[in-house]
Amino acid sequence: MNSNKFFSFSRFYQLLRNDILLNYKKYLLTIVGAFILGFILIFLNMPNQVSPYPNGKFDATSYSNLFITCLFGLGAFVGSAFSELSSKVKISNFLLVPASTFEKFLSQFTIRFIAGTIILLVLFWIDTHLARIAALSRIEGIDGHLAGPEKYDYIEKFHYSMLLIKSRYPVVTNWRLFEGIGYILTLYSAGMFLFSVKIFFRKLGLIKTGISLIAVVYLIMITMMCFSHLFYPETKGFDIANIDYILSNGYKNSEILLYSIAYIAPLFLLPLGYFKLKEKQL
Amino acid sequence: MINIKNLSFHYKKKSPLFNDFSLEVENGRIVGLLGKNGAGKSTLLHLISGLIQPKSGEINVNGFTPFDRNPNYLADVYMVPEEFAFPPISISTYVKAFSPLYPNFENQKLNNILEEFELQQPSNLNKLSHGQRKKFLIAFALSTNCKMLVFDEPTNGLDIPSKSQFRKILVSSVTDEQLVIISTHQVKDIDTIIDKVVVIENGKIIYQENIDEITKKLYFDLVPSLTGIGNVLYHEQCPLGQKIIVPASNGNESSIDLELLFNAIINKTI
Repeated sequence: MNSNKFFSFSRFYQLLRNDILLNYKKYLLTIVGAFILGFILIFLNMPNQVSPYPNGKFDATSYSNLFITCLFGLGAFVGSAFSELSSKVKISNFLLVPASTFEKFLSQFTIRFIAGTIILLVLFWIDTHLARIAALSRIEGIDGHLAGPEKYDYIEKFHYSMLLIKSRYPVVTNWRLFEGIGYILTLYSAGMFLFSVKIFFRKLGLIKTGISLIAVVYLIMITMMCFSHLFYPETKGFDIANIDYILSNGYKNSEILLYSIAYIAPLFLLPLGYFKLKEKQL
Repeated sequence: MINIKNLSFHYKKKSPLFNDFSLEVENGRIVGLLGKNGAGKSTLLHLISGLIQPKSGEINVNGFTPFDRNPNYLADVYMVPEEFAFPPISISTYVKAFSPLYPNFENQKLNNILEEFELQQPSNLNKLSHGQRKKFLIAFALSTNCKMLVFDEPTNGLDIPSKSQFRKILVSSVTDEQLVIISTHQVKDIDTIIDKVVVIENGKIIYQENIDEITKKLYFDLVPSLTGIGNVLYHEQCPLGQKIIVPASNGNESSIDLELLFNAIINKTI
C-alpha cells in the first residue's frame, strides 16, 4: 500500500473499483433508463408532419432545448453523489474506508461528474440519431403522404458543434466566447452545488439546497442594495441602483457581474465541498 | 498502542462527556471496555476510530492522530459497529470490493472463519439474518489483520453457540501486534477472552486492571451463605446462595466473574 497520505493512484483505483462493484447494477439501470427516456423525449419532440411554416424545422434550437432538459437528468445523477452520507451507519462506513478524503472526493467527482457527463454526451448523441431515424420513418408531408427527400433537411442531423455555433440561443457562440464560457461555468457551478448536497445536508438535501440557493440570490441582492446605498446615496429603501452602461466590448455591466459570479463560484464550490467532507463527523 | 491524554469531548449543546480523560493501552491485548448506558463507551470508540474529533487533548493510536483519517491509519483499523448496513450485494462481491483496501487482508482466514461460523455465500448479504450478517462482519474484521480492531457490542444478535464460536475465533486469530477493544454490556460473553478491563462512568475511568492482576488480588466464589465469611468486598444473591468477591489470599486464584466485578465496581465496593 502506498504510504502517500494524500493521493495514491493504486488506492484511488481500488476506490473506483469498490464503488463500481457496489453500485454497478444501479449505474447500469441508470444508463439504460436514461437511454430509453432520452430516446422517448427526443422522438416525441420531433415532428411527425412537415409543417407549412418556415420555423417548423427541427434544428439546432430544438436540439439545444432538449439537451438542456437532459442536463437536468445529469443534475439529478450528480446530486446523488455521496449517497453514503445519508445515515449515521453509512457515514461511519464511508469515513472509515481506507482512503484519503481527497481520493474519496475525487472518486465521486470522477464517477458522478466526469463519467456522468461523458455518458450523457454519448447517450444524447445516440438517442438523437436513433430518434431522427425513427421520426423520419413516420414523418408525413402536408398532403398526408410520406414526405420526400426534403424530410432529411426538415429534421437536421445532430452534431454537438451545432450547439456551439448555430443555435439561436447558443451555449457558446463564436462571437461571444466570454458569455459562452459563463454559461458553461454556471452549469458547472450548479453541478458542483448538487454534487456537494449530501456533504452539507444529511436529510432533505434537495429542498435545503433549493432554500440555500434562494438565500444566496437574496444575499447577492442585499449586497447590491448595500452597495447602492453606499455609492448612490439617493437610493431609497430596498431599491437597487440600476445604473446600466455598455462597455466598449459590447457587454453590459450587469452581464459582467453575472458572468463574474459564474466564473468565480466554481473556484470556491469544489474546495468548500472537499474541506466540509474532510471535517465531516459522525 | 492507544495513548489518550487529557481528552475533552462533548456533543453539541450537551454537557461534557469526557473531561481530562487519559488512557494508555498497549498492543497485544484484548481490552474489555465496560460501562453503564451513556457512560461514553461508544463515543470513546468513535474518537479512537477517528469518526469524531476531540474538543481538546490528544489521541494517538499507533503513531497516528485518528481524526486526521490518514489512509494508512484507516487501513490498519477496523470497527465493527453495533448497528451496521450492507449494500445489496453478495459476500464474494463485498470481499472483492473491500479486501484490496486492507493490505494485510487474508482470504484464506476469511474462508476458515466463515466455515467455522457455518456461513454460506448467498446471493445477497441483506438476505442473511442480523446475526449472520454480524458474523460475516466479525469474520471480515478479523481477516483484515488490522493492528486495531474495535468491536461495539459484538455479541448482540448472536445466538448462544455463535457467542462461543466468536470467543474461540477471536482468541485464535488475534496476534501480539494487534489490539482489540470490545465494548459491551453483555460482560459474561467476553469474560474468558479479555486480558484487561477498563470501566468508565460519566466519562471517567473508574477502574482499569489486567485480568491476571485482578485474579491475584480478588477471589471470586459461590457460597451457600455469608455466615462466617469475613472481609466480603461484594456479594450478590443467586439461586445457589451468594456470589462473593473477597481479597485473594495465599496465592489462591479463581476464575473471574466479570459481571460480579462490574457490579462491584459500579457500586463502588472495589
